[in-house]
Amino acid sequence: MTEPVTGIALGVVIVGLALSTFLTRTSFMLAGSRLRLNHRIEAALRFAPVCTLMAIIVPDVLLHGGVYQFSPLNPRLLGVLAVAAWLCWSRNILGCLSAGMIAYSLARIFLA
Amino acid sequence: MSDAVAARREVFLQGQRAILPSLPGAAAWGLVSGVAMVKGGLAVPWAILMSLLVYAGSAQLAALPLIVAGAPLWVIVATGLITNLRFVIYSAALRPYFIDEPARKRAALGFFMTDFTFALFMRAAQGGALPANHRDAWFAGVCATNWITWQVCAITGIVAASYVPTEWGMEFTGTLALVALVGPALNVRPAIIGGVVAGVIALLTHAVPFRLGLFVAAIAGIVAATLAEDAAPPATPRDAEAA
Repeated sequence: MTEPVTGIALGVVIVGLALSTFLTRTSFMLAGSRLRLNHRIEAALRFAPVCTLMAIIVPDVLLHGGVYQFSPLNPRLLGVLAVAAWLCWSRNILGCLSAGMIAYSLARIFLA
Repeated sequence: MSDAVAARREVFLQGQRAILPSLPGAAAWGLVSGVAMVKGGLAVPWAILMSLLVYAGSAQLAALPLIVAGAPLWVIVATGLITNLRFVIYSAALRPYFIDEPARKRAALGFFMTDFTFALFMRAAQGGALPANHRDAWFAGVCATNWITWQVCAITGIVAASYVPTEWGMEFTGTLALVALVGPALNVRPAIIGGVVAGVIALLTHAVPFRLGLFVAAIAGIVAATLAEDAAPPATPRDAEAA
């Protein structure tokens, strides 16, 4: 194992990482105005939020430390189910987050 | 103050109010990321600089073990770049809404975009709730509020790393905020199919490095949703827009 990156080298790494977020986030936003996305692609991108969020959420809930957690007593799964139940009768987001965190925490305390 | 400025200010405030109830998610995730940066072995000033300049929790956490292990510069930056690939999809999706804005404004709105603020904006824009000429002000209100919340909490976590309890799993609030945002959008068949495909592929590809699986899963989900829509087109195009 080599030494950690420090000093000037670490500063360069941080600037490099900052550039990588800036370039990816602004990529299509800054592409010249002559670039017109095909309308099929533009229509398909309506589904980008649902698909990327699900791709972030599902592994976060059903995986822990690289191991699948399909038990119905999985605290994270119970937290998500509490949020889903709350959303069925209210759109109050604060209530929703509270219900989810309470279910998750109780499951961690009592089902672990 | 002219009417136009007053109107833009009002729309900016509407953006702030739209993200307000979800801020516990950004706050908890920011705080825990800040703690993780320091406990992972980064010195406090560098962790603060990184939070301010990079502003991407998952890329920062992916880079951290490589920094500590003394990996070559290009490996660390490439890891950040690949972890951030999903932002290219977001950027393409946002493009039509801001195409008439000046470049510096597009650059600023792009830089301050995150998973959550992107999805929140798309929902509002597709729902037809935003005045077309002030969409940028609404998004700026959302992004500014999210940025300030994230940075205050991340820097708190960095400075007070040893005092913040991380064993409660409070960062899960961030995931729940995403669940609350995506839940109501799973109301039409193509969205459900796309979401399930993306979720399952992300689950199966979790071991692929650099979070590359997330990017592949998102693309596959988008394709699946589009094919599902082609197979059973909605009654009228307007209905699909509003959904």
